[in-house]
Order: sequence, then structure tokens, then C-alpha cells
Amino acid sequence: MTDIAIRLAEVQKSFGRTEIIRGVNLAIPRGERHAIIGPNGAGKTTLFNLISGRFPITSGTIEVNGQSTAGLAPQEINRLGLSRSFQITSIFPRMSVFENIRCGLLWSQGYRYSFWQLLGRQKGLNDQVEALLDQLNLSARRNLQAGLLSYAEQRALEIGITIAGGADIILLDEPTAGMSHSETEYAVALIRRVSEGKTLLMVEHDMGVVFGLADRITVLVYGQVIASDVPTAIRGNAAVREAYLGTEAA
Amino acid sequence: MSFLRRNWLWFLAIAITLLIPFLFYDWTKGRHSGFALTLMSEIGVMAIFALSFNMLMGQAGLLSFGHAILFGLGAYCTAHVMNAVKAETVWLPTELIPLVGGLGGLVFGYLIGWLATKQRSTAFAMITMGLGELVSAAALMFMTFFGGEGGITTDRVLDTSLFGVSYASPWQVYCLVLAWAVIAIVLMRLQTMTPLGRMANASRDNFERAQFVGYDPQRIRLLQFMLSGFFAGIAGALYTIIYEIVTFDTLAAAKSANALLAAYIGGAGGFFGPILGTIVVVLLQSGVSLLSNAWLLYVGVLFIVMVIYAPGGILGLIMQHAPIRRTGRMRELALPYVRIFLPAVVLMLGFVLLVELTSFTTIGAAQGKIFKIADTVVNTRTAGPWVAALFSLVAGTIWMRYEFRIFKLTWDALMDDAKRQGLVQ
Repeated sequence: MTDIAIRLAEVQKSFGRTEIIRGVNLAIPRGERHAIIGPNGAGKTTLFNLISGRFPITSGTIEVNGQSTAGLAPQEINRLGLSRSFQITSIFPRMSVFENIRCGLLWSQGYRYSFWQLLGRQKGLNDQVEALLDQLNLSARRNLQAGLLSYAEQRALEIGITIAGGADIILLDEPTAGMSHSETEYAVALIRRVSEGKTLLMVEHDMGVVFGLADRITVLVYGQVIASDVPTAIRGNAAVREAYLGTEAA
Repeated sequence: MSFLRRNWLWFLAIAITLLIPFLFYDWTKGRHSGFALTLMSEIGVMAIFALSFNMLMGQAGLLSFGHAILFGLGAYCTAHVMNAVKAETVWLPTELIPLVGGLGGLVFGYLIGWLATKQRSTAFAMITMGLGELVSAAALMFMTFFGGEGGITTDRVLDTSLFGVSYASPWQVYCLVLAWAVIAIVLMRLQTMTPLGRMANASRDNFERAQFVGYDPQRIRLLQFMLSGFFAGIAGALYTIIYEIVTFDTLAAAKSANALLAAYIGGAGGFFGPILGTIVVVLLQSGVSLLSNAWLLYVGVLFIVMVIYAPGGILGLIMQHAPIRRTGRMRELALPYVRIFLPAVVLMLGFVLLVELTSFTTIGAAQGKIFKIADTVVNTRTAGPWVAALFSLVAGTIWMRYEFRIFKLTWDALMDDAKRQGLVQ
């Protein structure tokens, strides 16, 4: 039996009378790079928000690392080892790039709400931040206010914050949205590098990125999974072509 | 040695604050000026209070309209404990009395914060405003703790000093206030560099992101609120020691507004901004209020001008010069500054004269005061002064606008140069 990182069973979500997620079943094995695709309004981001605890689910169950997330706050789900990025860049804009990454590391390093330890003296912690900045290619920008970074750099920084805590499950919501071709290429290489040995779940519109990165792809249409398979099978799936890829190819 | 060298600015600041009272020293009588010392002590107390307020507003993005309740409750706790020490029911060295206020602020910070920090932004501001009114109302209801309208009086001469100091003289009190101000300011400064301090910044910037890196923003807010209450309480305790009376004013809305004014005028964005703001506000309050009935109007106008033209406060204005300073061309701003300073003086003179003329014809007349400028009586019922004031105001404004354009050109040229050299940020 394979180890399951995220398991969704009959997950359903309604906003008022509108049903957005209509009974999704999904199991993502540990170590898999998994992409969710689907037309606009299919509920991809909503699904992310449900898994990460941003919204409560209406019915069904979600398990992260074998634990039900029912009734857990986002930070509690994060502490189970799940970390996410946002479709609209979500960083700490008035803090320096260095501080942004360090904030991503604090909880996992056990600093909690300490107000008696001076961060400047935490050499091990700061070295880790530097190493990560290096990996993100942001070392030269370390002292800049994060809000002043270029768009692509902010996206890279957000990925950095997301992985900093060492979570073994990473959710990326359209990590390459709005990027130029070369920026996308760089971002893909970065995602590949940082998701090594981890479970990656991402929503993405760029089919080049999806087919280049994903081990398995789930197609979501109107809140339902219509296919979940390896990339080659998805490419050959008639229903998928009709619902999504067909319009893209035309 | 390296400690001294790294922190020389702190030591310089402490030395200066110790020396300033001697500028007002009466050498013939061999006595300190009580007014100057009380003013300086007040600045010390209000600086701690404004900084504790900024732990919420500047650092955690929490605008509190009821911050004075922590100051006031800390002060009341201190007054009661001081009276107990005086009655010898408990023993506590005078030097440690401020900790009583701190603990009071911490405990009430927990009780009040537990409610207020359930929300953030506007809702938080509304809750603090409501709680401020609630505590103010309670202050007049619970006589034994708050002493009603008369407040609680106390005596700071306790004979429990660790150093054998009586604290009868304002100079001794000033030294105690200064020592505690330094301790509190250093601790608050250090707190910004701790995990909690940084995560307070983080939850201010983006509370949702803070959640997704594992933190509970509500817990961050509560802890930050409690620590802020601790320092506000220390300020309240020092207030009690200086004035030996605690009344309802210490926790009223006007006191809360003071912290807000100081933080805004000084600059909430940087750590030291509120200290600058406190100096300005206290000098206006204690100094100008002796000279003018309209001092509150000046504070208000200053506040509005700062919020509109310099939202970063005094500190923000200073920091804006940093790129030009790095190019080493600050000197080129000297002349433009002088040229803008002259019309500014004319404008302000016109404005002040107009305000004073008005206040003397209304409140002043009712109080039987006579408007004098350097022993010359100004008759507010003649047209002359009014015309002069109006002329000065209008001419100053027009001149100022003209000079400002020239200033702006020089400024922009210098900034462009700094940008070209890559010295901006």
C-alpha cells in the first residue's frame, strides 16, 4: 500500500446555494508531483483553499498526512506539514526579502512566539535563510523591501516562503501566472529543484509547465474530477480534450 | 569597547538628556528649574507611552483608540501599591515601583487584549474605542479603586530606595524617569528583533500569509498587546511617581489621542519616530499652552498638515534625505531650505497672529486677558493687526508656493542623480 500525502473523499463545497466543488475524490501519493488543470471557474483554487483550510468544507473529508483537517485553522494544517502559495502573490510587502524568508522558517524551527530571543544571534537560522535565498537567486536582493521586487522575483520569493518551513507537502497556485517565457523556464527549474523528494500539488494553466513537471494530472471541470492519470493518458483522453485541451489547441 | 562604539548614539542621547536640565539651572540659587525638569520627565513618560502605542500601530498594524486605559490602569495600580508601601504593609524599593505599573498593564493588557485582539484593523479600533469608554465610565463608578473625580493621591517619598535617595526633589525623580525610559526603550527596541516582534510585522503586512507559515495571528496580536500594555503601564507608574496623583484623565480618550498624535507626527513607520513626535507634542502642550489659549488648535493643524503632506512623520521626512545623503550632495539643499524657510516663517507668523487675534477677541476677552507682543499692547478691535496678519498669511502662502517649486526642482534633480547612481533603496 502506498503512503498517501493528501486524501480527499467526497469533498463538497457550496457558497450559498451555488455548489462549487461537487464530490471530489482524490488521493495523492507521497513524493508525487501532481497538477490540477481545468477551465476557468472549475474550482481549482477553491479546492486549494479547502485543502489548506482557508475555507471550511461543506461535506466530505480531507486528510493531510493521514490526519483529518476537519475544524483545523490554516496554521494548524500548516503545522501538519502542508504549505501553500497563492494565485495572487502573497508576501510580506513592507519587510525585507531576508525577513520574508526568515518568517517562513520561524515556526518550523521552534521559535514560536518567543520575545526573548534576538533573531540576529540565531546563526543557524540565518545561515539557512541565506542558503535558501541563494537557491532562489535572491541573495543580491536580500535587504530590499519585498514589495519593491519585480513581479517574477515576488513569485520566486513566495515559493521561497512556501518551502522555507520544510513542509513535505507543497501547494502552488498558478506559480508561473503572468510570467514571461524565460521567467517561466526559470520558475519551472526552481519548482523542480525545491520539490525534490516532496509532494507537490499545483494548479497551472501553462500546459508546457504542467506536462513538463507533473507525474500525474487531475482534470477538474465544474467541481468534478473527470480524469486523473499520467500525462500521456490525459493527452489521449477524449473527454479531457473536449472539455479543456480541445479549446486550447484550437 | 565595541559595545560602546556600536551604541554611541544611545550613550550620546542619554548624556544629552542628562545635561539639558543644566541649561535651565539657576546658578545663583543653586537650584534646578522645576518646570524644565517636569517637562523633561513628562517627555520621558510620554515617549515610553507613545512607543508602546506604536508597538501596536506601527509594528502590528493595530490602531488602538483606547491605549490610555493601559497607561491609566498601570498608574492606578502603582498609586495603590505606593500607598501600601508608605503604610509599610508591603516593602518595595522605590526604584522598582515602575514594575508594578508594568505588571498592572500586562494583566489588564491580557484582559482587554483578550477581547480586542479577537479582531484586527477597523473592528479592532472600534473595540478599543468601546473599551476605552467602558473603563472611563467604570473609573467614575468604582470609588475604592479609582477614587472618583478626585482620583488617588500618593506620596513618592517612601524611604525604601535601594540607593538611599529620597526622591523628594524633581531632579532625583527625573533621573529615575530617565533610567526607566532608557530601560523601556531599549527593551522595546530589542523586542522588534525577536520572533514575536517580526511576526507582528508579518501579520501587519499580510495576516493570512502569517497563518500559512504556521502562526496564529490572533495569538500574535494578543501577546503584542500584552507587551505593549506592560510598557504603557511602566509609563503610567512613572507618571504616578512624578505627579503623585492619578485621576480619571490618565485613562481618558484624550490621553489615547496623545499617543496617536505623537506617533503620527513623529512617524509610525520607524522605531524612533514616536519619540520625536512626543517631544513636539509635549512641548506644544506644556510650553505653548502657557502662552496661548489656542495651543490645541496648533496641535490639530500640525497633525493635519503632517498627515496630508508627510504621512511618514518627522522621521519619514528625515529618511527621505537618505539617498541624497549617500550621493554626498546634501549641501546643495542648504540654500533651497533657507529660501523655503523664510516664506514659511512669514506664513506661520500670519497664521499664528490671526489665530491669536481671534482667540483674544473671543476667549481672551472673556478671561480679561490683554494681547501683548513684547510689552506692546495689540488692540484686537482695530483693523491694523488683522490686515497685517492676513497680508502676512496670503503673501507668505504665495511666496511659499513659488519657492517650493524651485525647491522641488533642486530636490528632483538630486533624487534623479541618486537614482542614476543606484543609491535609492
